[in-house]
Amino acid sequence: MRVRSVRTRLSTVAVSATLLLSVAACGDSGGDSGPVELRFSWWGNNDRAQATQKVIDAFQAQNPDIKVSGSSADFNAYFDKLATEVAAGDAPDVITLGGAYPREYGDRGALLDLARVQNELRTDKIDAAALGNGRFEEKQYGVPTGVNTFAVVVNPAVFQKAGVPLPDDSTWTWDDFARIARDISAKSPKGTYGAADPSSADMLDLYSRQRGEGLYTPDGKVAISRNTITEWWTTTVGLRDSGATPPASVTTELEGQPAPEQTLMGRGLAGMQFDWSNQLGSLRKASGQPLELLRAPGESTQKPGMWLQASQIYTVNARTEHPKEAAKFVDFLVNSAEAGKIILTDRGIPANSEVLSAVLPGLNPDQSAQAKFIEKVTPQVGPPLVIGPTGSTDTRLILQRLNAEVLFDRKSPAEAADEFVKQVEAAIGK
Amino acid sequence: MSDRTGSRTARSGPRRRETRVAYGFLTPWIVGMVVFTIGPILASLYLSFTDYTLLSPPEWLGLENYQRMLEDSRLHKSLLVTVQYVFVSVPLQLALALGLAMLLNRGVRGLPIYRSVYYLPSLLAGSVSIAILWRQIFGSEGLVNQLLAKVGVEGVSWVSHPDYALGTLVVLNAWTFGAPMVIFLAGLRQIPSMYYEAASVDGAGAVSQFFRITIPLLTPIIFFNLILQMIGAFQSFTQAFVVSGGSGGPADSTLLYTLYLYERGFGSFEMGYASALAWTLLVIIAVLTGLNFLFAKRWVFYGD
Repeated sequence: MRVRSVRTRLSTVAVSATLLLSVAACGDSGGDSGPVELRFSWWGNNDRAQATQKVIDAFQAQNPDIKVSGSSADFNAYFDKLATEVAAGDAPDVITLGGAYPREYGDRGALLDLARVQNELRTDKIDAAALGNGRFEEKQYGVPTGVNTFAVVVNPAVFQKAGVPLPDDSTWTWDDFARIARDISAKSPKGTYGAADPSSADMLDLYSRQRGEGLYTPDGKVAISRNTITEWWTTTVGLRDSGATPPASVTTELEGQPAPEQTLMGRGLAGMQFDWSNQLGSLRKASGQPLELLRAPGESTQKPGMWLQASQIYTVNARTEHPKEAAKFVDFLVNSAEAGKIILTDRGIPANSEVLSAVLPGLNPDQSAQAKFIEKVTPQVGPPLVIGPTGSTDTRLILQRLNAEVLFDRKSPAEAADEFVKQVEAAIGK
Repeated sequence: MSDRTGSRTARSGPRRRETRVAYGFLTPWIVGMVVFTIGPILASLYLSFTDYTLLSPPEWLGLENYQRMLEDSRLHKSLLVTVQYVFVSVPLQLALALGLAMLLNRGVRGLPIYRSVYYLPSLLAGSVSIAILWRQIFGSEGLVNQLLAKVGVEGVSWVSHPDYALGTLVVLNAWTFGAPMVIFLAGLRQIPSMYYEAASVDGAGAVSQFFRITIPLLTPIIFFNLILQMIGAFQSFTQAFVVSGGSGGPADSTLLYTLYLYERGFGSFEMGYASALAWTLLVIIAVLTGLNFLFAKRWVFYGD
């Protein structure tokens, strides 16, 4: 009898515990007391994480009533994680995005229209072109972190060891690029290459812009022609065959490791690599070499294909419970000299002119090299980039897959070009 | 007599109460089951007929998602990859498991230690860390190539070559032979030794003893392991995700069905289509398991 009553009591406890837990799960968001908690997410390496934490600390020191917790991941993992969090309705309050992602998430209603928090977040000092990268269909979904350009990173040490002179980037052509890359590979120790495989979605944008195309039309269709893509892949297959770029399996292995430290350039194993200008610092640090930025080949002989772009864009979650505080935090990130002096050029050259002038004197040689390069190319770049429509974030992966097919000789450049256009059309046609 | 009847009525009271108590204890589990399993399963069935981008409410499409599967060439590719993966890795794994179980069954000293050591991969292999380790071992400068270099062979990067990447996943799955091995070991223990004694008196060698005694008497266990491992293999995800860096690459050569499903759902926000894919996978596994049971009548021997 006693045993039974104990059991009954225990089972009652089990039932009530379950109920309690489910009540508790619903109830943790109501409290008004205590500091407001914000979550902030970005992608990048450890250096960026450390710098960002310093910015967060500075913000919290000024705003003791707001607590910010940051989280970061490498580029590939970041967007997987973010998608899962957004799906679960549990996305961070302040989200770093870039490229076509602000449009993708904005169109789907995940981002706050920043007009609603314009008192907390001023944008009047921000470069208008960069600001445009965060505006879609009359809605400002994001604020640029800084300005960036897609260019060639070169390792002068590798050039020197191979006895190959650095090219003049005001005149060089794609043929020069291929010849130099081949020369370096031939005259360097095994495992060092003239160039990393250059195929990427950004690269196709640049290459086709030199022919007046670009990846997308302003009304959200595919602009690049099959012809251009076929020629591109014919070139890169030629680079691979001549040994200018690594064998296919090395390239595909590198694709799974997007961190700058793991790239050929970061490991000091490539003479040239196409990359974003804000990677210069990380790449220099990783390789321990005085890497330089050059304009892309073919810029002077064809139309200029390079462009300036917001390197990253801070956005606010549409479902945030604290839009004002989130906006205040973003304002601190982009408009305060204090934050600028910590972040420096890691997220691009500051887009806020006042922050830029405050930051410039404190730049180390790595960062001022990047700033000088942006300054140099600004008058030479082509028209603003047409950012891809919703669904175009798939393009990066479509290209990666087809590039592997091409490099392993499973598809001819022409077949892959057909397939590329077809798959991108399907992705953006949804 | 009267005593008995009395006790019977007396028993039904406490029994009912015990049932109630049992349900009380089961409540946490039942609530979890309904909220976290049955609910989502039913929701995904509904979603499979809709266009659902996660952020806006689902829109009814009818059968469109299922029709789309017929023309989705990447889906067909992923089915092919999955079938290759399952049909190579599961037999390999079971053969390894049976072989080692037989070896251990010969009365080795320290059996519990061997059993644990061989079982360990089954516990570990689903983890991310092992998959990362795998990528290192089969990478261009990995352990495998270092060993190959010692014998003068220049290896390729196994994980990033479309011809071999799936092979590394097959090996990884086969390596998890521990769980079926333990079950085989238990099965082998149950075969009465008198059969072997009688067979050797009649002059049967080890090979014919294996095929005429061990295998037939073990068929129920083989069947059980086959069903279990096949269902498991169809649902493999972690290894392919980590080894390929989430892309199913190179060139979709490791695009397992679940990986494609994940990519559609979480990469491209096509939750409706992803749900339809999930239900199709369920049907595929159910049909194959059904076929297995059907054929089982021909080869599984339940004794007496």
